Amino acid sequence: MLFSSISFLYYFLPCVLILYYIVPKTCRNKALLLVSLVFYAWGEPKFVFLMMGMVLFHYLAGILIGRYGQSKKGQAVLAGTLVVSIGTLCFYKFSNVAWPIGISFYTFQLISYVVDVYRQTAEPQKNLVNLGAYITMFPQLIAGPIVRYIDIEKQLQERTHNYEKTLDGIERFLIGLAKKILISNALGELCEIFKTSDEKSVVFFWVYAISYTLQIYFDFSGYSDMAIGLGKIFGFEFLENFHYPYISKSITEFWRRWHMSLGSWFRDYVYIPLGGNRVSKGRWYFNIFVVWTLTGLWHGAAPQFVVWGLLFAVLLVIEKHWLLKKLEKAKGWNHVYVLFFVIISFVIFNAADMAEAAAYMKGMFGFGNVPLMSAECGYYLKSYGILLISAVIGSTPIIKNVVMKATAASYGKKVFVVVRPIVLLLILAVCTAYLIDSSFNPFLYFRF
Amino acid sequence: MKKETKLTVLLLAIMFFGFSVLCWVKPSSEYSLTERRKLTQFPKLTLETAADGKFMTDFEEYSLDQFPFRDGFRSLKAWISQNVFRKSDNNEIYVADGYAVKMEYPLNEASLTYAGKRFENIYDKFLKDSGCEIYLSIVPDKNFFLGEKSGHLSMDYERLFQTMQEEMPYAQYIDITDTLTIEDYYKTDVHWRQEGLVDTAEKIGSAMGISLDGEYEKKTLENDFYGVYFGQSALNLPGEKMHYLTNDVLEQCTVYNYENDKILGIYDMEKAEGDDPYEIFLSGPVSLLKIENPNVKTDKELIVFRDSFGSSLIPLMAEGYKTIYLADIRYIQSEFLANYIDFHEQDVLFLYSTVVLTNSRTLK
Repeated sequence: MLFSSISFLYYFLPCVLILYYIVPKTCRNKALLLVSLVFYAWGEPKFVFLMMGMVLFHYLAGILIGRYGQSKKGQAVLAGTLVVSIGTLCFYKFSNVAWPIGISFYTFQLISYVVDVYRQTAEPQKNLVNLGAYITMFPQLIAGPIVRYIDIEKQLQERTHNYEKTLDGIERFLIGLAKKILISNALGELCEIFKTSDEKSVVFFWVYAISYTLQIYFDFSGYSDMAIGLGKIFGFEFLENFHYPYISKSITEFWRRWHMSLGSWFRDYVYIPLGGNRVSKGRWYFNIFVVWTLTGLWHGAAPQFVVWGLLFAVLLVIEKHWLLKKLEKAKGWNHVYVLFFVIISFVIFNAADMAEAAAYMKGMFGFGNVPLMSAECGYYLKSYGILLISAVIGSTPIIKNVVMKATAASYGKKVFVVVRPIVLLLILAVCTAYLIDSSFNPFLYFRF
Repeated sequence: MKKETKLTVLLLAIMFFGFSVLCWVKPSSEYSLTERRKLTQFPKLTLETAADGKFMTDFEEYSLDQFPFRDGFRSLKAWISQNVFRKSDNNEIYVADGYAVKMEYPLNEASLTYAGKRFENIYDKFLKDSGCEIYLSIVPDKNFFLGEKSGHLSMDYERLFQTMQEEMPYAQYIDITDTLTIEDYYKTDVHWRQEGLVDTAEKIGSAMGISLDGEYEKKTLENDFYGVYFGQSALNLPGEKMHYLTNDVLEQCTVYNYENDKILGIYDMEKAEGDDPYEIFLSGPVSLLKIENPNVKTDKELIVFRDSFGSSLIPLMAEGYKTIYLADIRYIQSEFLANYIDFHEQDVLFLYSTVVLTNSRTLK
């Protein structure tokens, strides 16, 4: 089930909210587990049993690891568990069988749970319902953020619910919904128009590349906003997943702002165990390349994802070696540098295969008899111009800063109290209108 | 501040749950008048449909189709798209000079080739040695007149006309574009207006060697007409008057419908109250019709292969022929036509719109 669907917004979510708030507090995790299984089964009836099996397996593994600690037995149980979880993920990644939605996300959460129990930074969860509710929790189940067990352990036992948190949650959810429906989906239309066009031009290639770069940001960060917002409504505090990545001044900074939960997962569960940067230079570079190859493969078992990951590995090594200090001084140009490589990377990322990626690169740089401009490109540039400008502005903190400045004064605060519900209702109405008018709605990150 | 927060949450909750309740309790509508289509009904829930995901897929469609105030929300989307995001078209429909126009673009050459193959099949089977005189005429869509002028994308119409002539070397091409202007089309519909087609009929008739009197009385339907683009654009365009032309000759013509074995007149006035009043012209989409004119001195016959644009034009040619067959091969296999028509020395006109030629997969 998609968050940005009428069935979720007006059928599923109201029932869930009523159920969640009418059951006794002690039963809320049970209610969450139940509705999350329904949510998952709605889109993946077959694979709900796989997910339940994985939860049960890791629940038992967690208890055993908790019992044996870091002894040899504990190590053996952890190793066996990792073989099963990574093996299952690899089986679906690398074989041609149907792909269970969200498996990349929930497998990483399960791994973080058992590893944290082994490291004794988390207690094994004795209550299967609580662990099940954590893994399957529908707000973050199928497209993240990758919520780690240690970040949510206490909240599973006890969490606060109040009007302020609920309103923040509603606001965050609706902002995410608007990002997805009003901007990402519309940019997706433009990308599709480009792909089916017989009049590709250099400018059109760049319009596509920029549109897709914006689309994937609004799609994924919109989903994360919705997940964080829903989490707040149910009393949880999930960590942030995006922090205006396109204003970064280096690729190093970009990856501190983009898909933060994935970046920190790889740092803590792959990079640091490999030795991180406290090793020889050669080994350090090796560690970086391993992490980024795996990051690429996490997104898909295809060459373009590996190349996408390795591109970042190369850039990060270059930055760490000598470029980072130079970038700090190169005001303005550092943004151009980051955006250039990010745009290139997403063209590779979104290509059907490496041949298409290469063809798009050639087109972007004017190789192969591609005209500079076409009438079709001019038309769509004009038609989607306001949307593209809105998306560019929306990918920076400009709007947030303006709102914060305007509401800092007491008069601004009073206006905000009146305007806030009107704007939120308008967002809901307009998103509903767009949903009803269009069926183009898949989330990009569901395939990972 | 706490009080305001509480009030805001309650207000949002009332609106949100209110709409949710409406979704649950609103009786399902059968049909959308504005979109001219049946709406999805609540799907059957069985173990099988739940297990294979069909129930869920169908429910998604149901929830979209049956949403309360669906037309209002579609209008809101169109308004935001046009006025806030300043998009040049909404679902590929734009409004220029008050006309709702589908942006036909780009030229689908494969579709033209396919149409050419279907027509060649008819030529080879029925026309090659029949002594028939064969003609081709192409009806331009509204984008032909307004596309470039209004800054929208417009397919290469000259190439379309040229390609179809090359695909049909056995047919004499009659160019009717100089007899038409955008005023000859409905503002909210894909079709042309019959009262604007007298010159067009005369030009085609003249090319085929018949002269037409062209004297008609213009009659007007009581209700305003809202065409197919009214619903598709969701832009709340104003309705318009629909006229039809008649005279003594047309009033005495009979139209035999091979589908239901019924004989009616040129105009089926019962359709004036229906979902698509354009269907008053020769009863709308019918696979095979025969118009017989008892008041003509010639024995000439005409066979028209046509789409819906022919429904309003061909009656204006009735005074030149004793019998006119109208075949719409979107609804009948062309191979079956020999069961109903004896092909021999008639005039044969292929009259197709650019809309059908560029979406020709429905031709059988």
